[in-house]
Amino acid sequence: MSNTLLDVQNLTMKFGGLVAIDDLSFSAKKDQITSIIGPNGAGKTTVFNCLTGFYKATAGSMYLNKDNNKMDLKKFSDFKVAQKAGVARTFQNIRLFPQMSVLENMMVAQHNKLMVASGFSILGLINSRSFLQKEKEAVKISKYWLDIIGLTNRADDNAGDLPYGDQRKLEIVRAMCIDPHLLCLDEPAAGLNAKESAELNKLLKFIKNDKKTGILLIEHDMSVVMGISDHVVVLNYGKKIFEGTAKETKNSPEVIEAYLGTED
Amino acid sequence: MGKDLIQKSVKDSLFTGIIALALFGPIVGLRTVAKNEVLVVEPKWLVVLLIVIFCAVGRFFINIYTFKKEQRRGESSSLGKAIAHFLDEKGAQIAIGAIAFSIIFPFMPFADRYWMDIAIMMMTYIMLGWGLNIVIGLAGLLDLGYVAFYAVGAYSYALFAIHFGWSFWICLPIAGLFAGMFGILLGFPVLRLRGDYLAIVTLAFGEMIRILLLNWYELTKGPDGLTGIPRPSFFGLPFKRYPDEGVETFHTFFGLEYDPMQRIIFLYYLILILALITNAFTIKIRKLPVGRAWEALREDEIACKSLGVNPRNTKLTAFAVGAMFGGFAGSFFATRQAFISPESFTFIESAIIVAIVVLGGMGSQTGVVLSTIFLIGLIEVFRDFESYRMVAFGGAMVLIMIFRPRGILAKRKPTITMGKHG
Repeated sequence: MSNTLLDVQNLTMKFGGLVAIDDLSFSAKKDQITSIIGPNGAGKTTVFNCLTGFYKATAGSMYLNKDNNKMDLKKFSDFKVAQKAGVARTFQNIRLFPQMSVLENMMVAQHNKLMVASGFSILGLINSRSFLQKEKEAVKISKYWLDIIGLTNRADDNAGDLPYGDQRKLEIVRAMCIDPHLLCLDEPAAGLNAKESAELNKLLKFIKNDKKTGILLIEHDMSVVMGISDHVVVLNYGKKIFEGTAKETKNSPEVIEAYLGTED
Repeated sequence: MGKDLIQKSVKDSLFTGIIALALFGPIVGLRTVAKNEVLVVEPKWLVVLLIVIFCAVGRFFINIYTFKKEQRRGESSSLGKAIAHFLDEKGAQIAIGAIAFSIIFPFMPFADRYWMDIAIMMMTYIMLGWGLNIVIGLAGLLDLGYVAFYAVGAYSYALFAIHFGWSFWICLPIAGLFAGMFGILLGFPVLRLRGDYLAIVTLAFGEMIRILLLNWYELTKGPDGLTGIPRPSFFGLPFKRYPDEGVETFHTFFGLEYDPMQRIIFLYYLILILALITNAFTIKIRKLPVGRAWEALREDEIACKSLGVNPRNTKLTAFAVGAMFGGFAGSFFATRQAFISPESFTFIESAIIVAIVVLGGMGSQTGVVLSTIFLIGLIEVFRDFESYRMVAFGGAMVLIMIFRPRGILAKRKPTITMGKHG
């Protein structure tokens, strides 16, 4: 049980009469990649929005196991989920700061700790040495991640000028800069070509194995899902219809039915 | 392509001519004149013809220019680009040159009272522009009520100076503090608003403050305004020809002849220093985490939230800091005029400051200086043609928007670079 990172029980989200998520329970383990898949409109992104505080769930509970502390995610509203609980996310349509440089994007992700280091700007205004030191460390962390995705030489270019695939990767490593316990990725492989998908798989495996960060993944690209998922949750119409390993999922009649329809 | 272009342009300019005819025909062409106590219509078709031809030909040239540019719309014209590039390359030298020039300006042979007054006014607008640049340029919050903070600063300075007799240097930070508090006060209700909605609410806020000042007669003397605001002194040495008994004045202390220009020059240096402080502060804070968060918030608020940046605090600090500098400028305004009334804080002031920031290129400090010189200078040049002043003002804005759609200086420099650290 102590291996459980995220524990979602009976999560329900209603928009007026529409039930987007219906009594969903699942859990994600530490150092595992858990995928949430399902046809369009199954409620996958809604699950993410509930987890990361963008929506307030109608019912149910969500607990994050942070260093053996059970944290109730429902208690945190929007930005506090990232700040206090350490849940980072990316978006289906990339949300970088396009007019800011790549490095600046990485620095904004380290805002909270830099804010404290700058004495809420007072120490920063007088160029305090401790702040400059912390800033240097933050740049070092940024460089570390940019080296991994091979973007260090473009660090001073505007993020909006990067090719699409690089923007996707940048958004992921930017999320890693907040030092998360759980990383939620909303369709990270959307729009990537085969080579870029393979690189993405490598990056996600690295985050899982070397950074010991649990990953929750929404994905349509089956090569990504089957290639890296340790655990798969299948949603349809807001309900969980299957849960198991990637292999089991591939052969499950319920899943095939949800995606392809039934043979009469 | 060439023939097609001309054909298209001719067609379009003919159409423009028709619109001009429809508009100016009745307005200019038909004039009623009283003849023998009877109103008769006197047509002036020649004038109309000239106007229509002017519109059509003008449109033709604009067309030739912009149609050619069609394929690279959004990019700026080559002249504007060259200027921007030049300013970019030589930015530091130009800035030092400009500061040096502003320091020696009062001692230039041509710098008489008139020029000094214009310089002081421009410097005030530059400072306001730099203050508002924090809110609009960096944090991306379109604030159309900035003059409210200018007013709060001016009134709090005036009231403290009149009623408590405190000196300028004590009242200045108090006025800034008050204005900053009003910034937070405005910030809270508009936290969830963006874009147009934010603009409307801030505009209303600006008017509210003005109307409050107009009607709170016991405190502000309403439309009569506040008079007898103490003039600033040079470290306790007043600028007076006939000082009170036993008080040393600026000119006696330094053994100079009394000259009213001494006070003007002092005021000039005062606003210069205040403006430079504003500039230095903005340049510095932009490179701090809070400054980066402001810009990130302008770019994408949702992404900010997902990274744990507190949007409420970030926005409120932007409002407060911007308002504080507005307050500083306001207290300078009060001490310079020695008289303030709500008349000085109308919406048009906000509009001019916003125009300065937007035309300068949002977030660009140098851009604010350039557009202030351009806009305020233009208003001054046209002072003799009173009714055409605002036409010239509007025309200048249209021109800048055509040639530099993103402002005179649109290029943004990163706040931190890998080259320096890596």
